[in-house]
Amino acid sequence: MEKNKIEEIVTKYNEGVADPAEILQIEQLIESGAIQLHQLQELTLLDEQLIKLNDPKPSINLDDKFYSSLKAEKKRAKSESFSFNFSDWNILAPRLAFGLALIILGFLGGYLLQRPSFSGEVQQLTQEVSDLKEMMVFSLLEKESATDRLKAVSLSTEMNQVSKKVTAALFKTLNEDENANVRLAALEALTSYSKDSEVRKELIKSISIQDSPLVQVALAELMVAIQEKKSVKELQKLLQNEKTPKEVKNKIKNSINVLI
Amino acid sequence: MEALSDNALMIKVRDGDLDRLGLLFERHKRPLYGFFYGLCKEQELSEDLVQNTFLRIMKYRHLFRGEGDFKAWMFHIARNVKHDHHRKNKIQAKEQLEHWQERLGNHENRSTEMQHDEEHTMLSMAMERLPEDKREVLLLSKYQEKKYHEIGELLGCSEGAVKVKVFRALQELKVIYKQLEQSH
Repeated sequence: MEKNKIEEIVTKYNEGVADPAEILQIEQLIESGAIQLHQLQELTLLDEQLIKLNDPKPSINLDDKFYSSLKAEKKRAKSESFSFNFSDWNILAPRLAFGLALIILGFLGGYLLQRPSFSGEVQQLTQEVSDLKEMMVFSLLEKESATDRLKAVSLSTEMNQVSKKVTAALFKTLNEDENANVRLAALEALTSYSKDSEVRKELIKSISIQDSPLVQVALAELMVAIQEKKSVKELQKLLQNEKTPKEVKNKIKNSINVLI
Repeated sequence: MEALSDNALMIKVRDGDLDRLGLLFERHKRPLYGFFYGLCKEQELSEDLVQNTFLRIMKYRHLFRGEGDFKAWMFHIARNVKHDHHRKNKIQAKEQLEHWQERLGNHENRSTEMQHDEEHTMLSMAMERLPEDKREVLLLSKYQEKKYHEIGELLGCSEGAVKVKVFRALQELKVIYKQLEQSH
């Protein structure tokens, strides 16, 4: 079909006056690539609204189930049989306490909702849940198991408002955790707060502390993503460090070139 | 971030570093949950399906070749998990219009994060009224970020055919949405 005919049919569709035969033609033109979906204005707007619809949120049970399975699989992969033993109470007890506390708060919330003036109490309840989550984060970050510490980082990303104590804990994890995966997860979690100038300062400071190539590269990439030119000095220090691997140095050179 | 790309992480999982699966889980649990929840509207079931998807990823990690898109592979597994669930539970694939009012009236399983803005609520309601196959294609388009070629591989059709499916789904969604607007 000629270009002007195609434009005509698209205009008719956008004006809502295309007949069924023309709509069928439009389908054929979409399939062949002669018409792109974004040319159909009303549908594009609808699609954009769909994309903006908030994603529903799973409960904490999903994390618990997954991390338990991951732990089990790691043990199986090492040919150990997984069995529940008394030492697991150290890991399970805080989660049970948290779950029980949430149930109690849930009942309390239900009771409060029946009262005429409950907005103040709901706010208090929300704060208490947030405080509980924070306690869980700190508790799990102290655990020996990397899986638990990963869980802690994940929990911190579910909190609507993260306190300075939590970001400080995430930075401690980023800079000191013995497991590179946990440090990477902490970095990903901190990326959400990279608009905060204090967070950016700490991220820059973290560059020269890192010795894992993976974390070094991830930090360099993050600096480019957030366009943080103040990180160039720290990146150059890393570049000049003899211990920095060659592949990491190449990545850092590219990052510096983008930033300056 | 290249170093943390999905494919790079999954290759490490395949090669024995299971902790990296935790990172992939953190990245994709919400969109995957959104996909399942968009289809079945049940929180617990959606969580189970997400869990089962990741269990399969773990179980079949040795099959990951590193080529192609990890997300597409993940959604391929997710759809299989969904089909297996349907087969096991003999849930009907096509939904009846008569059930809409029951489901719309049931707020127990609704995510507490859903927006209360009226437009978005009506759009959610309109989505619920779409036939499952059309809803699925729009959810895949949303969570696969309109990578129509990859969606075509998932659905076993060409990229052009996917775009037509999206067009038809959006058309029908528009009609339902307008009906809801008029009745409010």
